[in-house]
Amino acid sequence: MTKPNTGELDPQDSAGSEIRSYAVGLTASLLLTVGAFAAAMSDLPLRWKIACICAAAILQIVVHMRNFLHLSFSGGQSREDLLLVLFSATLLVIMAGGTWYIMSDLSGRMHDTDAAMHEVQPR
Amino acid sequence: MSETNLYPGLNLGDGHREAHDQAETTVFGFWVFLMSDLIIFGILFASYASYLDPIGMAGGPGPQDLFDFKSVAIQTAFLLVGGAAYGGVSLAVKYDHGRGKVAAWLLLCAALGAGFLFFEAKDFITQASKGGTPQVSGWLSSYWTLVGLHGVHVLSGILWIFAMTAQIVTRGLDDVVKVRLSMLGVFWHFLDLIWVGIFPLVFLVPLS
Repeated sequence: MTKPNTGELDPQDSAGSEIRSYAVGLTASLLLTVGAFAAAMSDLPLRWKIACICAAAILQIVVHMRNFLHLSFSGGQSREDLLLVLFSATLLVIMAGGTWYIMSDLSGRMHDTDAAMHEVQPR
Repeated sequence: MSETNLYPGLNLGDGHREAHDQAETTVFGFWVFLMSDLIIFGILFASYASYLDPIGMAGGPGPQDLFDFKSVAIQTAFLLVGGAAYGGVSLAVKYDHGRGKVAAWLLLCAALGAGFLFFEAKDFITQASKGGTPQVSGWLSSYWTLVGLHGVHVLSGILWIFAMTAQIVTRGLDDVVKVRLSMLGVFWHFLDLIWVGIFPLVFLVPLS
């Protein structure tokens, strides 16, 4: 209220565009959520359902980072924040993806009883 | 453009110069903390995905027996709208709408978060009564840990909102409160982001 407010962009203008940005974010987010639920309840083949759900999730994460968390490559602090997030995400992909891959591979080798039977019995 | 778009709550620009400068380092530090949180959640996601097979379920109840599409949809709606409502807090701080409005938006966020927690707790109780307690199988352990940890985060977010509301009432919107509000904003939006990972992978993929 005691804001000097000299030589800036018209605050009303930038307020309007920021409200629009949040509104776009919320709309996109809700649409992607509905899309993911619709895909899960549809009659598509399982592979397609999972692909749709994952694609919607990734898009929704991007929308949230852009419109709500204000991360961007445009420079300044928001760029540093985004680089931090992307670096952490890379570590996460290595650790979480690696864990999942190793465990599913192990599970396939140790518990796939049908395949094990077929390999052992012909001898 | 980048100058005015730094943080939710504190992309303040020249009108709030001191708080703006202070926010850069403080909020960046908070981001580093959140990234360690992200790693914890990511590893829990990985264990959940690893247990998501018949062996991980160990003969206990599975997703089809325990999960309820409708309740997950309601929780998701509460959390997404609650996250977007924090935009109201951010803009009210940035454009000097006064502390009454800031507090009102904060309490709206807390109410929506509480709605989310209510349905989540209800689900947990139903699942436990159907025999889906954490000790039954590895899959259930990972499910309770991952979703429960997110629930605890939402609860602490609500407590933080109450603390900030009290600070707004007692100290007014000074620079310290503004920086804290922008950290709370990052935290609150981050919880949304985690839920965007949880509802597709934990609930939708196993149910489809």
